Amino acid sequence: MSAGARVAGVGVLTGWGEGVGALPPDARVAAGGRAVIALGRPALDGERFRRATRECLLGVAAVHAMLREADLGRDAIRGERTALLFVTAGAYGASNVEFIVAGGIVGAGGASAGRSEGGLAQERRGIVGAGGASAGRSEGGLAQERRGSVSALHFPYTAPSALAGEVAIEFGLTGAYVILIGGAPATVDALWQAGRLLAEGRCERALVVAVETFEECETLWRRARWALPAPLVEAAACALLVAGDAPAAYRAVAAAGPLEAAAEARAGRTLAAAPLIALALARAAGEGAARITGTWRGRTAGIELEISGQTARV
Amino acid sequence: MGRGGEIRKLPPVAAGVRSRAAALLVAAAADLCSRARLDAAPERIAVVVGTALGGVEELERALECDRTARRALDALYDAPAHALAGWLGARGPALTVSVACASGATALGVGADLLREDAADLVVAGGYDILCRFVLRGFDVLRSLTRERVRPFDRRRSGLLLGEGAGLLLLARERDARGPRLGRLLGHGSASDGSHVAAPDPEGRGLDAAIRAALTAADVVPRDLDFVSAHGTGTPVNDRIETAVLRRVLGPRAEAIPVNSIKGALGHTMGAAAALEAIMCLLAAREGLIPPTAGYEEPDPACGLDYVPGACRAARPRLMLSTSLGFGGCNAALVLEGA
Repeated sequence: MSAGARVAGVGVLTGWGEGVGALPPDARVAAGGRAVIALGRPALDGERFRRATRECLLGVAAVHAMLREADLGRDAIRGERTALLFVTAGAYGASNVEFIVAGGIVGAGGASAGRSEGGLAQERRGIVGAGGASAGRSEGGLAQERRGSVSALHFPYTAPSALAGEVAIEFGLTGAYVILIGGAPATVDALWQAGRLLAEGRCERALVVAVETFEECETLWRRARWALPAPLVEAAACALLVAGDAPAAYRAVAAAGPLEAAAEARAGRTLAAAPLIALALARAAGEGAARITGTWRGRTAGIELEISGQTARV
Repeated sequence: MGRGGEIRKLPPVAAGVRSRAAALLVAAAADLCSRARLDAAPERIAVVVGTALGGVEELERALECDRTARRALDALYDAPAHALAGWLGARGPALTVSVACASGATALGVGADLLREDAADLVVAGGYDILCRFVLRGFDVLRSLTRERVRPFDRRRSGLLLGEGAGLLLLARERDARGPRLGRLLGHGSASDGSHVAAPDPEGRGLDAAIRAALTAADVVPRDLDFVSAHGTGTPVNDRIETAVLRRVLGPRAEAIPVNSIKGALGHTMGAAAALEAIMCLLAAREGLIPPTAGYEEPDPACGLDYVPGACRAARPRLMLSTSLGFGGCNAALVLEGA
């Protein structure tokens, strides 16, 4: 059993491109006033992905990016000895909004108000029933309501666990898992959990995956711009942790560190993905260890992790 | 109430608690605080809550009528946990776990890990979920809702009914526990099916692995178990798979001990379910009474265990197993010990 955890690979996809080499020196300048820097929908082969949401595909793509960065094949992570930890602040938002609109849960007025503000699900709206809003609790369920255009599989994909599920299916991961919701501290918490699972012998390797999407819910995020100044940069990242020599020093309440600021300056606001981008920056810079911190809703958490060497430098 | 078990009236809560989900969570916390003192420095008190839906009702409102920034932020799934932490005055970690209907069990496990790590001295942990149009619509589209009564493990079972609720427990290290205690969380385990986003693995392999992991973590063998609180949704597939897994993992012990599901009485409370079931287990041990599986009347040959039919059973289980499954192929198990 190992005493600690070591970062053996980090894959990063952002609205700027793949890897930390694609990050601009200053994200605010590079954004040029844009509120959201989108990442697009990954092109993944397979009928199985036909129904998958963009955020699910981004999760899968992030793991592929990590495998490329670490020069590993997919068999290196398959099986019950790989733990999966997924973190997001809001990547479920797009599928939630789509389900609400396509399912006729909000009335026509509400949905159209959203669209006129800047396009909530404007490309993917379904049937928005004017009577939908009245059919809720007061009528004791939704049996009498029109079913709109939602399909049976639509609803499960609104759950954050759908993303972890798709990643698990794609890579054959059947080990322990945790899904945490929140900004950057939740990712630090996930890195800590990964270290615990490794130290206790509950897994041999752990994937910490973070995905953030903003494009479909840009209107909603804009409303919160006082709390989250632009640019919001979509990101999907994955870190591979394996057994290491040094214990992962976790601080549930910490002071913000310099890598946190560096990751935001280079990448922009990436919420839960930020600590993994910071890890990638440290790894690309050849650091042997890194102190990763993350701040969200007034809390800062931190962790110190051992990092495997990487020859490429940014 | 219709096809969902809605709580008609929540107790009044403090100003600043805006969403119904947060209000429900705070109401549960108020009840907890009336029974146990949070006797630790604020930065050493953590909050870990599980939820399948978070603040999605606030998203409905944000899309429908309320364009304020606060409503938009309240729509994020972690908002109710932070509202709870604020209400408690807890300044330690505030974690939201969302592994669908296994969220409550996973939250309790993460909370216990925070104590082992010495990242907190007290953890308020559990789960919650409210009923809203979103979730009613979702399960309706899935055709998972029964038109009849919820009948876990019964031959006539035809689906679930939803409920809403919140269950919170105060976790402390053994040496720090003050006052009467309900019991101990000995171990927890989780595993992914890796097979389907919406349906459980036909062989229940993830649940099998989660139970084995929890037993190993607790250093408990199947013959030591006295009682199983099953996920038991009342859907044809879940109950059959769960029974098969219990038989496979527990061996002959599965036939010898009571197995219940309280979803026939409470409905499926999603993120709250496993937390409420853990509380039920601990109260069963304290009171010497195991609640029946409400709605279970006619045995199904595919589900042939002792499901506690009819009425409460006089028994005082000491070691108990609780199981949970959720969308995305999530499985979790807890091993609990009565005080």
